[in-house]
Amino acid sequence: MGGDRGLVRPYVVTNGRFEPTRNTFDLVTLVTAVPDRPVRTLSPEQRRMVDLCTHGALSLAEVAAHLGLPLSVAKVLLGDLVDSGHLLTRAPIPAAQLPTSQLLQEVLDGLRARL
Amino acid sequence: MSQIPQAVTWCLAAGLLVALVLLVAQWRAARARERSLAGLRDQLLARDEEAHRLATVRLPALAHSAVSHPPVTDPLLTGTRYAADLASVVEQFAGAVERAETRADQSAKAALKGAVRALQGLANEQQVAISEMQERHDQPAVLRDLLEIDHANSQFGRRAQAIAVLCGSWPGRQRTSSALTDVVRGAKSRIRDYKRVELRTVVELAVVSRAVEPVVLAVAELLDNAARHSQPNTTVEVNLQPAHNGACVVIDDAGVGMDPREIELAGQLLTGQRSVDVTRLGDPPQFGFAVIGVLAARYGFGVSVDTRSPYGGVRAVVFLPTALLTQVEQPPVVALPVAAAAPARHTEPARHPEPAPFEGRTQGGLPRRRRREPLASLTEPTAGTAPGTPAAGATEAAAGTADAWERDAADTARRLGAFARGTRAGREADPTDTP
Repeated sequence: MGGDRGLVRPYVVTNGRFEPTRNTFDLVTLVTAVPDRPVRTLSPEQRRMVDLCTHGALSLAEVAAHLGLPLSVAKVLLGDLVDSGHLLTRAPIPAAQLPTSQLLQEVLDGLRARL
Repeated sequence: MSQIPQAVTWCLAAGLLVALVLLVAQWRAARARERSLAGLRDQLLARDEEAHRLATVRLPALAHSAVSHPPVTDPLLTGTRYAADLASVVEQFAGAVERAETRADQSAKAALKGAVRALQGLANEQQVAISEMQERHDQPAVLRDLLEIDHANSQFGRRAQAIAVLCGSWPGRQRTSSALTDVVRGAKSRIRDYKRVELRTVVELAVVSRAVEPVVLAVAELLDNAARHSQPNTTVEVNLQPAHNGACVVIDDAGVGMDPREIELAGQLLTGQRSVDVTRLGDPPQFGFAVIGVLAARYGFGVSVDTRSPYGGVRAVVFLPTALLTQVEQPPVVALPVAAAAPARHTEPARHPEPAPFEGRTQGGLPRRRRREPLASLTEPTAGTAPGTPAAGATEAAAGTADAWERDAADTARRLGAFARGTRAGREADPTDTP
């Protein structure tokens, strides 16, 4: 954040809001930036959030940690940025749709054998 | 016989003449006495009057304000010893009053300083505790309450800090150099009506670390004044303006403004021309300008409030000279995710967001893939035929992660393709495993 973490308090970051505009976010929500959106009107934290996510998907927990903000505050900002079209979120793929653990274990074993 | 009466007549005449002369002399003497008596009476009256004025007007005025000295005396008494004595009384009295005041001020400051230091410590401790709670809890309702407590605590801390500064302490916390924008937002954090403050411009300048807290405090006092003296439905506008040899923070409110006398007084306090006396701040105490004046003098920035804002209220300008400014440290937006976030970035979903440098198991019981860069061999169309091929990629894991995240779309597509081929190959190797 350039400066001190305690300098700008979270209520100024969210302008007093505490509820994200949508309640679908959690720790592992993956966030990616929509490229080439104008960032002039965004607050410094929002701008940094967009910057962080331009290089690839990042989980919300990581975004919050990098910004030095509490997760709940990051959710509020994320809600705004998703609404304004700067960021896209993707829920993690449910475990049921993944290959079974046994398959992956086999792959791993195969890799180990080759190593 | 006629000579006798004639002689008597002459005698009488002479006597009469003498009596007349005596009478005139007597009368003149009486007049002179009367005049001098009247003069003396006037002087006595004047002295009484002057002594009375000394006791009831001049000394109390001295005792109360130590500034206004009513003009010396009556023309009747000018230059007399009496006047000189009175002047000496006044002088000694003024000296005694000043000494008593200095002593009272010093002891008040010392007492306040001690008391406020404890309060400041508590406010800081509480802020740390609140920040930790904000990190720990993740429900909007809890966040709302915490934000409220945080807000109240920040205002409390600012008040304590202001009193401490007035008593001659340092503003307290040591901070790292911070962007001017953050300094203003930090100031905004500490006032009641922060939602009404709008920061309009952004400049790429930062405040050096030793000046961060003082400038935050001074700007906070100005913002608080601006918000307090304007209607609740108006906004307080803040603009940042780079100048030739510094930068300005311009605060405009749409409030009631100040009259010339208030402006003059504020000017004296802000430039430090007028010393601040903690025993004379009024009730309720008004120390905003006094605090700013002390900070401005101590840290070498300038504050003026003598212009009108375009909205009819006051325009306050904080001028920060170049000595207090520095360049914004390149925000680590590019460097940070590469260095720290890369291991944690998942191309496959995972249950735990924290970096997992080595294999383990996720909550879902899946083995976690160890991040290997850059899996180059898989990108060759001829290579991705057997599940063993990633071994070659693994040996190349030494390639820098930094470059890995700069890849373009085509590269990403190649990697995903390689992953798909790898999985397919894996399934083909043992068909019984396919779900």
